[in-house]
Amino acid sequence: ELCSSLAGIMLLEVFLVLGTLLIYFLFSKKKEETLPFKDGWWGRGQKPVTKEDSSIRPFKVETTEEELSDLFRRLDQARFTEPLENSCFHYGTNLVHLRKVVSYWKNQFNWKKQVEILNKYPQFKTKIQGIDIHFVHVKPPRLPEGQAAKPLLMVHGWPGSFYEFYKIIPLLTDPASHGLGDEHIFEVICPSIPGYGFSEAPHKKDFNSVSAASVFYELMIRLGFNEFYTQGGDWGWLICTNLAQIAPNHVKGLHLNMVSVSKLGLTHLLSVLLGRYFPGLFGFQDEDVRRMFPFLRKGLYRILSESGYAHIQATKPDTVGCGLNDSPVGLAAYILEKFSSWTDMEFQNLEDGGLERKFSLDDLLTNIMIYWVSGCIVSSMRFYKENLQKGIGTQKHEKLTVQVPTGIAAFPNEVLHTPQAWAKKKYTNIVSFHFMPRGGHFAAFEEPELLAKDILQFVDKVEKEQLWKKK
Amino acid sequence: QAILCLPRSFECSQKNAVLVPAAALGVGGVLLYWLRSGRKIKTIDMGDGWWGSGERPFKGKEDASIRPFKIETSDKEIEDLHRRLDQFRFTPHVEGAAFHYGFNSSYLRKVVAYWRNQFDWRKQVEELNKYPHFHTTIEGIDIHFIHVKPSYVPHGQAVQPLLMVHGWPGSFYEFYKIIPLLTEPAKHGLNEGDVVFEVICPSIPGYGFSEAPHQKEFDSVATARIFHKLMNRLGFKKYYLQGGDWGSRITTNMAQMLPQSVKGLHLNLVFIATQGVGMLIRTMLGAYVPWLVGFSREDARRFYPFMQKNVYDVLRESGYLHIQATKPDTAGCGLNDSPVGLAAYIMEKFSTWTDKSFLHKDDGGLESKYSLDELLTNVMIYWVTSSIVSSMRYYKENFSKDPTLTAHERVGVYVPTGIAAFPQEIVHTPRVWAKNVYKNIITYSYMPRGGHFAAFEEPKLLAQDIMQFVQKVEQL
Repeated sequence: ELCSSLAGIMLLEVFLVLGTLLIYFLFSKKKEETLPFKDGWWGRGQKPVTKEDSSIRPFKVETTEEELSDLFRRLDQARFTEPLENSCFHYGTNLVHLRKVVSYWKNQFNWKKQVEILNKYPQFKTKIQGIDIHFVHVKPPRLPEGQAAKPLLMVHGWPGSFYEFYKIIPLLTDPASHGLGDEHIFEVICPSIPGYGFSEAPHKKDFNSVSAASVFYELMIRLGFNEFYTQGGDWGWLICTNLAQIAPNHVKGLHLNMVSVSKLGLTHLLSVLLGRYFPGLFGFQDEDVRRMFPFLRKGLYRILSESGYAHIQATKPDTVGCGLNDSPVGLAAYILEKFSSWTDMEFQNLEDGGLERKFSLDDLLTNIMIYWVSGCIVSSMRFYKENLQKGIGTQKHEKLTVQVPTGIAAFPNEVLHTPQAWAKKKYTNIVSFHFMPRGGHFAAFEEPELLAKDILQFVDKVEKEQLWKKK
Repeated sequence: QAILCLPRSFECSQKNAVLVPAAALGVGGVLLYWLRSGRKIKTIDMGDGWWGSGERPFKGKEDASIRPFKIETSDKEIEDLHRRLDQFRFTPHVEGAAFHYGFNSSYLRKVVAYWRNQFDWRKQVEELNKYPHFHTTIEGIDIHFIHVKPSYVPHGQAVQPLLMVHGWPGSFYEFYKIIPLLTEPAKHGLNEGDVVFEVICPSIPGYGFSEAPHQKEFDSVATARIFHKLMNRLGFKKYYLQGGDWGSRITTNMAQMLPQSVKGLHLNLVFIATQGVGMLIRTMLGAYVPWLVGFSREDARRFYPFMQKNVYDVLRESGYLHIQATKPDTAGCGLNDSPVGLAAYIMEKFSTWTDKSFLHKDDGGLESKYSLDELLTNVMIYWVTSSIVSSMRYYKENFSKDPTLTAHERVGVYVPTGIAAFPQEIVHTPRVWAKNVYKNIITYSYMPRGGHFAAFEEPKLLAQDIMQFVQKVEQL
């Protein structure tokens, strides 16, 4: 009798445990909620009662003699410090090399010519939620009979700008002329994130990635697009992800060149500890292992050594940006450092930071000039605080998944590598995941052709299988 | 041992007669060894260094002269500063920002207006020159220091040499108000047992008027050695040390390096890295039963809530540390070119590290504890010497190494130590934790008010604590 009651108790316990597990799994399945659209008013003072002006006004970048002479005066009076002997880029931007860059900036860089280059694509401004949003809108020069251009929203990050897309735009709006076939032709919209470049900075607190996604969603609706593709890296990755979470029925496909996961759990810890030895067990491919391990060096130490800027920008943006808005040389040093290490971490061992191996000084300085002439460095840094100060992994959108068809281009020199095994926990509908052969963080700027090809093959898959209709 | 060699054919009882004394000897031996090794004080190796540019010259002895020095300025310097102040490009802050996003730009505008129109740098230079300054070359670089002796010493009174070391973003100037209280206490109504000091305040190499090291790896241990050499060169064999911020770490290293030269060590900040599970458990328990883990009530009040005060607050305030410890040349570049940027960066710390509640104020509460003249004089020291980048490199040189291997965590401090714990210090270190490193704490005082820049903000309180500490040490 004792035995049978004991067995009975044990059986009951087993059932209880199983039952609890079952209930847990049923109810804890990641909610397929959408992220609510975040309305807001970011203008100065109170929101006016009159309806907002929703006109779309053409915009051209301009410069003046005064602007140029002010810049040259500051470059002339720049106070440099001697770097330590043999320090290369280990202490940050090498201040001897910076002198050379400044000399080029003063004597050879032609801002007027660069402004003409910036103006080669049509730009516009329109007021959304109280602030002026700047964007580039490029339509295809020619369309084959019966074909419609597919709208593609491309979002930049920090310390980049809309200018990062200038080399890839023609490959997407006119692929045939670049040997990429004409099955899919895009009209490309590259906005500037509010607080960056020629987009007005929010005057109120709390403008985060969800706010930016909501603003860009309104922009696309205002431009008359009901369905569109989105592409992004750096902050663009997060904003486009949020947009896909807010309006999954409008986003046909989401293409990313950077993915970051903030919801880390036991499986992540285990895969970091054991993934090198049992890759298959954790869904790692050989290339994943190659890029992620040794984890201390490529993961933890790299995060620590490269994230100082994010830490200070997420806590004291107004302090750190203050001097950079006053010293163009300081601004250049701060921004160029990222174009060095985030393109290839090994560039830190070079005296010149490898800056001109992948980019021209004209391109690098044009990007910096966008920050300088618009005076936006401080507001660009505030975006870090608005997104990160409450802590990583705590916000609602970080807990929600993405069901929109997703394509991921994983570049080898990206600062941190996220394997597909981790990405698919958040992006539940990964249509393509490719290890790119070369390139770093600023993919569109550095390897426009590789990125364009990956976007095209992704869109091809989505269109052929009509994947956006299946969600 | 002779007993142990005896043949084993003894009977049980006789065996016991052998085993017991043998065991006693064994235990005694172990005990003796343990006592002796515990007593043997480990010190940090003194080592040597060369920080000048290029190769160290192997011929000839270093110039050991001590040269008087006066701070100077020029019209050119002041005009250049004014031009930069005039051309400052200001960014409006978001509505309701106060000091939560960093230095409030509306208040910064007011500071810049004062700096441009009322601040008199020539007058401040005279003020700085009121104490005697000197330069001397040690290990290839010029070390700046001020050396203030009491103007009048009654017959038979001993004058204690006291080395006071500043931190970041401070300077030797932080000690200007406390110096007269220490060299002439009677004149200022402080008669703490007739203790009188002659004060030496050097500038850390790379800060202010001390030359910056040209070689990598100049850390607090190298600084400690250089300051010992300085005191030696000035003719002192035994002296007191005082410090906060980097000064705390440097003076601690000095005490670990040459304890026989250090009469006493006084600190207004204690750096302890939380190590080990034991400490973590004690931390968690301490929130509920502070007495069990050796925390006093005041410790508990200052230390908890733990996550808020030690994790969140520290994370919020340590962005500067993170970027300076990894990319100092990048972080400092713009600040060496924009005096307003430099002022915002430095003065933000004088706000938040003086009182955490100042974050909520539009003006950062700065002028409630300091005058703009004082704050700007400190900023000007960084500006006219172009030392902001080298001052930031100190973070990388000190933090880049594996923290568990750093000397001052492994080696204890055995010299008599006095700790003044100020309530608004960034992080509070309870006495029971300080004891893990500082084995000989003579005094530990909970100060009634004041923050990180103790000497600058509460010179009288700090002076009194230093004096009562020294008095106790002198009586030992």
